[in-house]
Amino acid sequence: MNAEVKFHPAEELLIGFANGTLSAGMNVVISAHIEQCAICREKTSRLEAQATVDWLKSTESVAADKDDSLSVPNFSHMVADITSQPQLREQALEDDSVSEIHMLDHSVKLPKVLAKVASKGLVWKKLAGGINQASVTLDDQTQCEFLYMKPGSQVPVHKHQGTEVTLVLDGSFSDEMGKYEKSDFVVRDKSHTHQPVSEEGCLCFAVLDSPLMFTSGLARLLNPFLRYRFNRATSMG
Amino acid sequence: MTTLAPTMGSFQMASVAKDNTPARTSKMADAASAVDQDSDESLLIAVGNHQDTAAFNLLFGRFASRIYAMGVKLTRNEQLANDLVQEAMLTVWQKAPLYDLDRGSAQSWIFTLTRNRCFDILRKMKRQPSTVSADDIWPPEGELDSQFVHEEQGSLEAEVEKIERYYDQLPAAQRAVVEQIYIYDRTHEEAAAALNIPLGTLKSRLRLGMGKLRQLLGTEE
Ligand SMILES: [Zn+2]
Repeated sequence: MNAEVKFHPAEELLIGFANGTLSAGMNVVISAHIEQCAICREKTSRLEAQATVDWLKSTESVAADKDDSLSVPNFSHMVADITSQPQLREQALEDDSVSEIHMLDHSVKLPKVLAKVASKGLVWKKLAGGINQASVTLDDQTQCEFLYMKPGSQVPVHKHQGTEVTLVLDGSFSDEMGKYEKSDFVVRDKSHTHQPVSEEGCLCFAVLDSPLMFTSGLARLLNPFLRYRFNRATSMG
Repeated sequence: MTTLAPTMGSFQMASVAKDNTPARTSKMADAASAVDQDSDESLLIAVGNHQDTAAFNLLFGRFASRIYAMGVKLTRNEQLANDLVQEAMLTVWQKAPLYDLDRGSAQSWIFTLTRNRCFDILRKMKRQPSTVSADDIWPPEGELDSQFVHEEQGSLEAEVEKIERYYDQLPAAQRAVVEQIYIYDRTHEEAAAALNIPLGTLKSRLRLGMGKLRQLLGTEE
């Protein structure tokens, strides 16, 4: 359905996703991308197979009880308790969380994981430059938010502090490096300076994987598109 | 088609030809026995099909310490790793009825399920918001594998074993046609006559069956 997705997560990120080593925020934005991207679903499937092989290999000596560095407790007492539990006969039904965001003139259907993230309600804040932001807290390592750029909005030049991922959910935006459309997974880090512009308007989900020092209340101001304000304020002050 | 056919040819000689009993009832049980009674897949299917506690015990013995090691690595906490063994093996027990060979290898199924439980355990421990859980993030265990089956970089033997497994999962009508052509080496006309079906029906069933096999094997373009 999205044969035209042009920007994908780097393999390194997908490896982290397959191995379960990423933050919740990063997992969520990757999950939302792969729901719409067959290429990355396929890669993830392959990487999960690889992760399984790696796991089995790295635990071979443990399984054979020949690893002295790890003292494995005896778990056999668990078995009776487990096998006395009922089994599942069918996959749990998906809950009917809100799956659309209503824009001015149309609605945008959200990927499943983002529907879940948004299911408790989003609080939109108006920011300068025609941008609306709804923050969500997924973990203590990332800042995540839905961002809506009105048609014609432009964000002044800014730099990034950490790694920022922006997933386009609807519409498009552009910067010096390209034009990004639905399902594109755009990664920017501190080596990039960019100036996003959206002519037709754009709904995104953005994750800033920030260093731990950004855990103060101030961090809330540091959303990916508006961090320039902080930079400016500090450089001016 | 042209690339797969020779492989099919060699596989029939090696394994299916020795068993000429196409009358089958339980697809699943049969696919399992076609592999290895003692394989992780067979055990998992036994647990799912008839709450086979002996099979579960074997799986538990094979995986518990590996799960523990993964837990220690990801959580750096022995108590959490211990909880992970409990929760992951409980999930194996509970979800075993949802497993089938279309969902990939039992190892991958158990790996992804363990990874997911670990994610949830860590979040709980860190008191992170319950906005999302592993089941919201990752597709159900094995669902990706049911969409994409990958060629293992393995021997012909592994290849044959795989085809054998998938072959048993074909609908009976398609399997009968594939069997006539690739195992008994009949022409289309002979096969249609043997099965007492029109030639066109035979060809379409053959196309469907081979398509399904190719899809399962991941050799589809
Ligand atoms: Zn992709």
